[in-house]
Amino acid sequence: MDLDLDASTLEFQAEVRSWLAAHVRPLSSMDTARGFEEHRAWERLLASERLSVVSWPSSYGGRDASLLQWLVFEEEYHASGAPGRVSQNGIFLLAPTLFAHGTDEQRARILPSMARGDEVWAQAWSEPEAGSDLASLRSTAVRCDGGWLLRGQKAWSSRAAFADRAFGLFRTGPGERHRGLTYLLFDLRSEGVTVRPIDQLDGEPGFAEIFLDDVFVPDADVVGEVGDGWRVAMSTAGNERGLTLRSPGRFTAAASRLVELYRKNPDPALRDRVVDAWIGAQAYRLHTFGALAHPPSGPAASVTKVFWSELDVALHETALDLLGEVAPGWRDGWLFSLSGPIYAGTNEIQRNVIAERILGLPR
Amino acid sequence: MTPERLALRDAVRSLLDKHSDVRAAIETPHGYDKDVWARLCDIGVLPIPERYGGSGAGQAETRIALAELGRTLTPSPLLASTLAAQALLATGDEEACARLLPRIADGTVATLVWPWDNAPASLHGTARYVLDGDLAEILLATDGTDLYEIDLAGVTREHTPTMDQTRRLATVHLAGAAATRLGRWSPGIRDVALAALAAEQVGAAARALELTVEYTKTRVQFGKPIGSFQALKHRMADLHVLVETARSAALAADDEVSAAVAKVYCSEAFFKVAAEMVQLHGGIAITWEHDAHLYLKRAHGSGQLFGSPAVHLERLRAKI
Repeated sequence: MDLDLDASTLEFQAEVRSWLAAHVRPLSSMDTARGFEEHRAWERLLASERLSVVSWPSSYGGRDASLLQWLVFEEEYHASGAPGRVSQNGIFLLAPTLFAHGTDEQRARILPSMARGDEVWAQAWSEPEAGSDLASLRSTAVRCDGGWLLRGQKAWSSRAAFADRAFGLFRTGPGERHRGLTYLLFDLRSEGVTVRPIDQLDGEPGFAEIFLDDVFVPDADVVGEVGDGWRVAMSTAGNERGLTLRSPGRFTAAASRLVELYRKNPDPALRDRVVDAWIGAQAYRLHTFGALAHPPSGPAASVTKVFWSELDVALHETALDLLGEVAPGWRDGWLFSLSGPIYAGTNEIQRNVIAERILGLPR
Repeated sequence: MTPERLALRDAVRSLLDKHSDVRAAIETPHGYDKDVWARLCDIGVLPIPERYGGSGAGQAETRIALAELGRTLTPSPLLASTLAAQALLATGDEEACARLLPRIADGTVATLVWPWDNAPASLHGTARYVLDGDLAEILLATDGTDLYEIDLAGVTREHTPTMDQTRRLATVHLAGAAATRLGRWSPGIRDVALAALAAEQVGAAARALELTVEYTKTRVQFGKPIGSFQALKHRMADLHVLVETARSAALAADDEVSAAVAKVYCSEAFFKVAAEMVQLHGGIAITWEHDAHLYLKRAHGSGQLFGSPAVHLERLRAKI
């Protein structure tokens, strides 16, 4: 496969690399009040160079970058050790939905402030009794004058402890399960919203429960058609499972760090696992570059989700075994990697998707 | 198990059911519940002969207790005090045994500084990851040849927090401390340590699987308990096979090779079960409130304690 980059992409790569080298600083955990604001400021800094959303149209703060250039940006970003993206739920999950199903008015109103980190978005899909079985969700939106009233409870909402707004699925009826759902946007500081942060296994509130008690949403914040929420959500769920949320740059960077770690702590018993993890990251990179013409979406995204999430766990477990009891620099990454096979649809659900929708096995 | 050992297991389990609270224990200044420890000493779980004030329990009994402590992740000085007591007994030094073992049997925390991390044994260096090293009132150390009692007056030591908050570890600086020779150091203490730890790991792994099975029987998605889905059932069945084989490996540990086998096998089994516990629980296991991360962190920490599986695989490779 020819992975040579053209001149303009090389120029872009050089620009990104030198800008990151000059600006990347360590930040506090984004799951703390202080760290969250530091990460928001980082998003603003990225946006000031139009580097926060390079693949978006320039009218919304992007650079109209090609998918290849976006991949290159991601490789540089992760290799530089730059901070995690506090805006990632908005940028990688809501924005593609707005591009596909939103109105011009919604895009003009929402995307520029998302690109600048002025509004950080949380996802409000899951509920306590609706995790893998998302279609069993029960939170409702009831028609009122000029809009909708939301009622119910959302769970496992990443970033919601400190975020500004959320995008969610609500039951508007008629019909059951996948039917009668509507995709709505709401303000986490609206009257009737209670956010209860949940401490994660690292001790920080990385996600939250959201209680909704007659929260008003204007008609302007319905995305797609009323009652068509499942299709609207699922048409871009592939973004979460596929390459856009987890670009190969993240894993090739981690694999390089792992190889460096091995050089410093050589342990012949772990050599094969280090090499396997490195091969996995390379394979994912090659798979992604090879798929540039037809990026994985729909059921094919489930293949990549299983692959990258299990690769991420293997990379971090190998690092931990190399380091032993104290694992500075890798511990948080390891704990986070454990959630990879769970969020964005558990890997059990992804394997069902692969089995039923790609292989055509009976349900 | 003999009726006596079953009774011991039940006594410890019932004590821990009633009184053990790992979350509360790790918040105490010493990291363990002194009342629970006193009750364990009353039951007589330390391997100390009756003539030295002990209950007459042997290592098998101690391992039964450690397995129970593993189930509930109860922090306690049992492992550290066991190793100190066994090292002391192995010297055959009557005077030292008669002087120190009754105190250990009564619950005085004792620990042993020994070169499990393959650092050169020394009475003048700094030892890392010493069990209860900052709490122990009786501190024994080896130079690789003999066992010594260390005068605490000359020792500096500090608690070393690690990811696993349920096990107390410390860094101990021996330089300048006075040491009294007690007798010969027995290298077989390594096997005692590995076998004891393996028993604890198996107890924890078995409980982690039980909790997971219970959860999948009650968590309903798609209108059914998730435990009814074959994709999950087979994984838990595999974990059961792993736990039972690990149990056998731990029970069989009685010499250098079998103890190393138990350490490798039980470390890997526990880690696998704990990691699967997280995955099979899903989002709830990513919360601080749920105990899955305590099992996972204990699995990682105990895998490294007394040498990682890789270290012992190397030893086995040379041996077999």
